Amino acid sequence: MTRTSILRRTVATPVLLSLILVALALVTYLIGSRPFNQTMIDLFIRVIMVVGLYIFIGNSGVISFGHTAFACLGGYMAAWLTIPPMMKGTLLPGLPSWLAAIHLPFWVAAMIAAVWAGLWALIFGRILMRLSGIAASIATFALLAMINTIYSNWSSVTGGTSSVVGIPIVRALWPYLIAAVVAIFVAWAHAISRAGLALRAARDEPTAAMASGIDIPRERLVAFALSGAVMGLGGALYAHSIGVVTPDTFYLGLTFTTLSMLVVGGMSSLTGAVLGVVLLSLLIQVLRWLEAGVPIGTSSFALPNGLQEIVLGIIMILILMRRPAGLFGRSELTLPRPGQGGTTPRTTAGTPP
Amino acid sequence: MKLHGKLAAVLAISTCLTTPALADGDTITVGFATAESGFMQAYDKPAQDAAMIRIDEINAAGGLLGKQIKVVTADTKTDRAEGAKAGLSVIDQGADLVVVSCDYDFGAPAALAAEAAGKVSFFLCAESIKAGIQGVGPHSFSASVLAAVQGATMAQWAYEKKGARDFYRLLDNWTEYNKGICDGFDWMLPKLPDAKLVGEDTFKNDDASIAAQITRIKSLPKEPDAIMLCTMMPGAVSAIKQIRAAGITAPILNGSGVDGSYWLSAVPDLSNFFVPVQGSIYGDDPNADVTKFNATYKTKTGGDPSSQYVYPGYVMIDLWAKAVERAKSTDADAVVAELEKMKDEPTIFGTRTFTPELHHQNQARYLIVDVEKGQPKVVDQWTISEPIPVSALMK
Repeated sequence: MTRTSILRRTVATPVLLSLILVALALVTYLIGSRPFNQTMIDLFIRVIMVVGLYIFIGNSGVISFGHTAFACLGGYMAAWLTIPPMMKGTLLPGLPSWLAAIHLPFWVAAMIAAVWAGLWALIFGRILMRLSGIAASIATFALLAMINTIYSNWSSVTGGTSSVVGIPIVRALWPYLIAAVVAIFVAWAHAISRAGLALRAARDEPTAAMASGIDIPRERLVAFALSGAVMGLGGALYAHSIGVVTPDTFYLGLTFTTLSMLVVGGMSSLTGAVLGVVLLSLLIQVLRWLEAGVPIGTSSFALPNGLQEIVLGIIMILILMRRPAGLFGRSELTLPRPGQGGTTPRTTAGTPP
Repeated sequence: MKLHGKLAAVLAISTCLTTPALADGDTITVGFATAESGFMQAYDKPAQDAAMIRIDEINAAGGLLGKQIKVVTADTKTDRAEGAKAGLSVIDQGADLVVVSCDYDFGAPAALAAEAAGKVSFFLCAESIKAGIQGVGPHSFSASVLAAVQGATMAQWAYEKKGARDFYRLLDNWTEYNKGICDGFDWMLPKLPDAKLVGEDTFKNDDASIAAQITRIKSLPKEPDAIMLCTMMPGAVSAIKQIRAAGITAPILNGSGVDGSYWLSAVPDLSNFFVPVQGSIYGDDPNADVTKFNATYKTKTGGDPSSQYVYPGYVMIDLWAKAVERAKSTDADAVVAELEKMKDEPTIFGTRTFTPELHHQNQARYLIVDVEKGQPKVVDQWTISEPIPVSALMK
């Protein structure tokens, strides 16, 4: 089977997923509410991060608890590059003078942040990718703890545990939309590339893959660096979405939120990664509205505060009980073909015809 | 295309649930983008209740500029990203004043949203200099007093009134607030002739034991005249208990963070323990209006104020409303200009001053609460002799 045919058969997935995001953006534009706009920005950032996770976890089958560290690296890099130099002088006196003098537009900074995070993923991955299974997961968790400790204590450069402020806030939706679409296409391109196919082969049949000449640590490293870069992009955009970064934003809370969205959607599917975020975020939003109170006739109906987290937890448990492989399992969203539904089993996932 | 159908349904529902905000010309709106759930709720709720008391008083007296004050709220869920949304949400609901969380870190996203929208924002009780011009922008204020003023107040008061000369400084470097108290102490100490620092140490709020630090205090040639303890709840209780259990009886000076009697039973018969407060929750405030406020608070909320941190909420609405009256408008720049003109503006919790450089209090009257045998009472009041300069605060 040739490469072009894989491309043609699978390109519908990223296109459809992107169209769903574009549709969400259009709805947001039509509603014109600023908090809803911010909710969508949040959603797109989560899409970027979960797609980042998927690139590594989905293709390698190794669960990583450490990817939030790359979001942290990206977020702080964006802060260093975009805070007005005058503020940097007082807030972060330990920055090297060339970095303290730099003042870049947010999109340039976001790209540099992605490269920076990808570079560190490459360095750490070089060591970590020799491990497999639970050992690799624990090592990535150690990576997260290490980055968090450094960023919490290197006060003159990162501001320590205090908030770093002065990051220009970007409230327009489209940069986030573009970044999310880019992330989806990067994930797709990697998945159908030689490296992606080899990595999935190694995930499903490591022995056979090695026997076929696949260098597993190397293929994992490619995915790790790429996913680190996408996480870095997500972290940078997160910084621009609220204008503040702190080390504890990029720690356990974000790690488990993004991981659970990936698990609920389906770890081994790009569709699962994207739609897991979309569906869970919309669910959260609906519960928020119910918490805030919905007018029904003359009275208003409201759920008690805090119920949102509980209901969300219960729904996630139910989903995983009914569909242990996540909502989408290994299926991808594709165009319907005669005799098939909207989602098809991924015959394109590298399994031989 | 079952999946698409489901998605469309979800989208349709979410569209229906969003109701457009309507601006109302006959009311003035105060928006609370504060925590209604999560750990910050414990700090935000009491101060917000106090703010509501002042709003009710103003509405009962005919409103502000002849208009009633309307309140809108949004929950930050003690989360920064939600905080930004909550800020935008109350702005969309027409807030003229955006009130944000007590803590700088958690209030900043909403305050930054307000700043970007050109609205006045007030931190309910943040005590970092960043909560204002320095960390948000020219339309942002804090209703409390800088942490540094607490440390400076205790140092000077202990020097003048307790004859303390040899100070020991014990810092819990967990939060900016703790560091702020000790920064103020550090600034004040060199100004006190022949007062000296005989030792200093640090610990972390969640340290189970501070035995090492206590050993160093015990091994000093003579017990210090006063220990400046820069810490906060929950670790403060354990630290205080260990210091007293080790037989150190020297006066302990604190920040306002340890105010309240809810924890005193954990350290039985605590004595020689001093806390600066903006107003007394113990019913012995020299100003009868404070005691009256406490009673109102009890009627409205069903409980006594748990600490002095309820008071800044009341002060905030009081000052902002005065500025609106004087500006004859809720326009942000006009209100900020009036707030910045306030010099020693009286409130029932002491005077307040804002300047174009500092939207916070770098000098304020504090009541000194002395805990003797587990009983807190107001014994004195103190205002530091000079305001702490912004340069000393910005380190």
